[in-house]
Amino acid sequence: MTTTLPTGTPTGTATAASARGLTRTYGDGDSTVHALRGVDLDLPAGRFTAIMGPSGSGKSTLMHCLAGLDAATSGTIAVAGRDLAGLDDTALTLFRREHIGFVFQAFNLLPMLTAGQNILLPLELAGRAVDRERYDQVVGVLGLADRLGHLPSQLSGGQQQRVAIARALVTQPDIVFADEPTGNLDSEASAEVLGHLRRSVRELGMTVVMVTHGLDAAAYADDVVVIHDGAVTAHLTDPDQDALVAALRGGIA
Amino acid sequence: MRTVLLASMRHHTRRYVAASVAVAIGVAFIVVVGMLTGATRSGLTADVGAPVAGVDRVVTTYDSREVARLVEVAADRDIPVLTLGYATEPVSRDGVQLAATADVSEVSLDARLQWQQLEDGRFPAATGEALADVNRAKSSGVRLGDVVRVGSGDAAVDVEVVGLVDSPAARNSALYVPWEDLRRFQDTSFWVDAVAWGGSEDLARATAPEAGVESAADWTAARQAEISRGVDVIAILALLFVVIALFVGVLVITNTFSILFAQRMRDFALLRCVGVTRRQLRRAIRLEALALGLAAAAVGIVVGVAAGAGLVALVRRWFTDMGPAALDPVWALSAFVVGTLVTLGASWLPTRTATRVAPLAALRPDTGVDVRSAAGRWRLGLAALCLVGGGVLLALAVSGSSVPAMLAGGMVSFVGVLLVGPVLVPRLIRLADYLPGGGPVRRLATGNAVRNPRRTATTAASLLVGVTLTTAILTGLASSRTAIDRDMDDSYPLDATLTSAGAPLEASLVDRVGGTEGVTDARVLDGTVARVGGLEVPLLGSPGADVVVRGPADLSAPDGTVLLPYAVVEELPTRLGDRVWEDRELTVVVAGREHTLRVETGSGWGRAGLVSPATLATLDGDPRPMAVWARAGDGADAEDLTGDLAALAGAAGAELDGGYGNRTWVYLQLDIMTGAVIGLMAVAIVIALVGIANTLGLSVLERARENALLRAMGLTRRQLRRAMAAEGLLLSAVAAVLGTGIGLVFAWIGVQVMVGSVVEGAGFTVPLAQVAAVAAVAALAGLAACVVPARRAALVTPAAGLAVD
Ligand SMILES: Nc1ncnc2c1ncn2[C@@H]1O[C@H](COP(=O)(O)OP(=O)(O)O)[C@@H](O)[C@H]1O
Ligand SMILES: [Mg+2]
Repeated sequence: MTTTLPTGTPTGTATAASARGLTRTYGDGDSTVHALRGVDLDLPAGRFTAIMGPSGSGKSTLMHCLAGLDAATSGTIAVAGRDLAGLDDTALTLFRREHIGFVFQAFNLLPMLTAGQNILLPLELAGRAVDRERYDQVVGVLGLADRLGHLPSQLSGGQQQRVAIARALVTQPDIVFADEPTGNLDSEASAEVLGHLRRSVRELGMTVVMVTHGLDAAAYADDVVVIHDGAVTAHLTDPDQDALVAALRGGIA
Repeated sequence: MRTVLLASMRHHTRRYVAASVAVAIGVAFIVVVGMLTGATRSGLTADVGAPVAGVDRVVTTYDSREVARLVEVAADRDIPVLTLGYATEPVSRDGVQLAATADVSEVSLDARLQWQQLEDGRFPAATGEALADVNRAKSSGVRLGDVVRVGSGDAAVDVEVVGLVDSPAARNSALYVPWEDLRRFQDTSFWVDAVAWGGSEDLARATAPEAGVESAADWTAARQAEISRGVDVIAILALLFVVIALFVGVLVITNTFSILFAQRMRDFALLRCVGVTRRQLRRAIRLEALALGLAAAAVGIVVGVAAGAGLVALVRRWFTDMGPAALDPVWALSAFVVGTLVTLGASWLPTRTATRVAPLAALRPDTGVDVRSAAGRWRLGLAALCLVGGGVLLALAVSGSSVPAMLAGGMVSFVGVLLVGPVLVPRLIRLADYLPGGGPVRRLATGNAVRNPRRTATTAASLLVGVTLTTAILTGLASSRTAIDRDMDDSYPLDATLTSAGAPLEASLVDRVGGTEGVTDARVLDGTVARVGGLEVPLLGSPGADVVVRGPADLSAPDGTVLLPYAVVEELPTRLGDRVWEDRELTVVVAGREHTLRVETGSGWGRAGLVSPATLATLDGDPRPMAVWARAGDGADAEDLTGDLAALAGAAGAELDGGYGNRTWVYLQLDIMTGAVIGLMAVAIVIALVGIANTLGLSVLERARENALLRAMGLTRRQLRRAMAAEGLLLSAVAAVLGTGIGLVFAWIGVQVMVGSVVEGAGFTVPLAQVAAVAAVAALAGLAACVVPARRAALVTPAAGLAVD
């Protein structure tokens, strides 16, 4: 099924995160940059969504706003049924702890902690008990069992990203955001990491939202949101390659 | 390369703030010391030549008989002459003592030699008239027309105050009387070192063959040089603290450069990639350091001049001998050069390390700034060598009471401690993990604090220097204070004595003395009056040890023995005096009967002899109250007490004596010294705190991404602030604990070496409250130092932090 929906939700699925009239501007006066210009978006739960668009189109900004890492200029955001507007920094932080996981492009891990410690860091910060079963499961799925005692500097780029994914999954968040998780990796390592992300959706029932600009990466996703110049131009469900290329090329489809 | 240099300086200006502050404080410190000592010098040397301005020559001699001959010869030939010296005598008015000892100098009756600055009244025209110093007159309530009595006993003389003068610091007697009045004290308390001489050199040589004769100008120059040397000693002592502050500054600056260069390693590597030679890179970095040094030193001069002028103005309000504020240009230039050189020097090692970066470093995969550093083997070896060598030197110093060995040993072993810091400090910080009640925040703080051992150690070392020295000095002073306590108790066993001049005292006097504010105990002593070779000396039945007697001093006399003050023995006719010194015997007449007593001499109980009660009974069957001894309470104001008791003594016809004034004066000196040391050391500690704030602040920049990541993971702002506060507190607490420990050891050694060699069984006293306060202030100030960096770190939104590259 290939449906082109400029906005809105694929029917019949719960929503993990949504945005309404979301704008984000940087600076003021002459140098104002409109990174996001009124984004309406619903991200379905239990699916692997890719956000695509050219460099500078506002993908990272969108992700930061959705994840409560950055404050929106206007508009509303709801994650896991919770309206983020009106939460102060501390409340937002506590919310992130409980409900959101992250994977970044680089500098994902604290250099002084081992892989295992990095994975457990969010639980430690939250003062939550470690669910051994979950930990072993996540570590197993990501194939990190024999790397847990290593420092980040002793791991390859692909391994580092897998540790970061494990860390994002171990808290069983409602939604995981990944900002170009394969941006620094070669194609082989990329494939491996993307495969793991997809497995976490399929096997662990997670919701993953990934920012990427590679078509290869997008191919692992269930849905694709296309964004151009700060506005969502397409929201494709299970797109095929051609539809995707068309959506990316054509701007507003 | 110039573009790169300018751009990088613009880009990094804010990161250099702390290093500049450290340099500026150091330079300002030098300038302030220069201005304070300069003002003191000009104040003290002002008008040194005034007394000899009216003559061509100065005759220098310490022999008061020669002086008397010179004055006589001059009087015969109408040559202007003025003695430059003073007698120290008690001064009283209407029987009430105004001062137990006041300096009394000569005022000439010859207008050519009346050099004093008249403020009010006129110069004396005849014997019996006197000038008084206007400030001293004001404080003791003397006015024009008052008649004051100078001296005691038979030598006393009454003079009328006819003029008030403003004395310069170099010659500031309280009273000036004509020669005929002053010469009474010629054989007792008169001390002279020169005579202003209007006659010929030959006449001076003929009259006083032993004396030296110089021109008035030479004499003045020599006096000024002498005073200057005194001030120089103070300046050198103050500069010692400047050196300490600068040393701490070097630590801070070196650390700043190391951190900054580590952060810019990739930039440097990239520059090398695009063809910048190592030399070019080094030159660029050194130019950066030079520019920083020049700017900071200039700021330091400006701040120093402002602070110095303010301080001098402040001090002049209390200390009128201080001259006006001025800055010697040579001094200012030296301060500027020192500041610049210190900056350049401190950047030397970090620059070498930084420029050793391989161009390839820029191409390595970007894993974030890895600024871990470790202690090299050679460093540890050197540290061990220093610690062992310093320890041996210190042991030698203690066994041989050698101050140079102590200083060398102290310095070498301290360097050893600094060298071993990168290993020691992180271990100590790690100890915090064993404290109960840990959590992720503290784990994060200790983790961050020990991440970079060398950086951590250097930061801690800068505070360590100040804490160690302050603790050592305070403990040393406290220990010498116990020695001084003992000494004071020996010299001044009694705080106040009111001793009858002859007639028995009223019985109620003791109650009035006891009721005086500041007196805790008063005791009346019975006695009798003995005649000894024309003198009347009260003999008191000594109570021995008593509540009014301080310390373990025992003022009791064996039966048949009299304890006689040195001053009374001096007053005796030569024949009797010699008998006392040689045979230790004295014959006294009490109620017409002669008694021969053994004599022991001493001092501290006023003008009276002390005998045992039994001896007193054999001398006089009906002893009467002859003296009251009083003990002052802790903290009683010496001037008020003396004034109140002097009034009582005057009314009762008694003479006031006692050591309370001297005692409080000595302690005041100690307190001033302690305060000065703390004030001077505070500069080094402030610089160290700037350093802590700096290290944390720069680390925040370096960890921007990491902190953003942590914040994204769920670390709240509060937790981040607390983690940084804990990091600062850990750093400063380790420095405080280590510094207190080392400081106490140094103090103990210092006491053994310096006090132990002088006083038997030197006591080692730890001023617990002071030491604890220093440690607490250092630790808490470390906490304060991270307020700004912590706030800044917490304000960054996670998204912004992640965008930093
Ligand atoms: N902190 C910032 N200040 C000013 N402009 C910014 C900032 N962050 C991002 N932008 C601008 O916002 C737009 C969107 O950026 P971003 O979301 O990072 O794009 P993408 O991730 O799609 O490459 C860009 O034009 C970028 O220049
Ligand atoms: Mg991006």
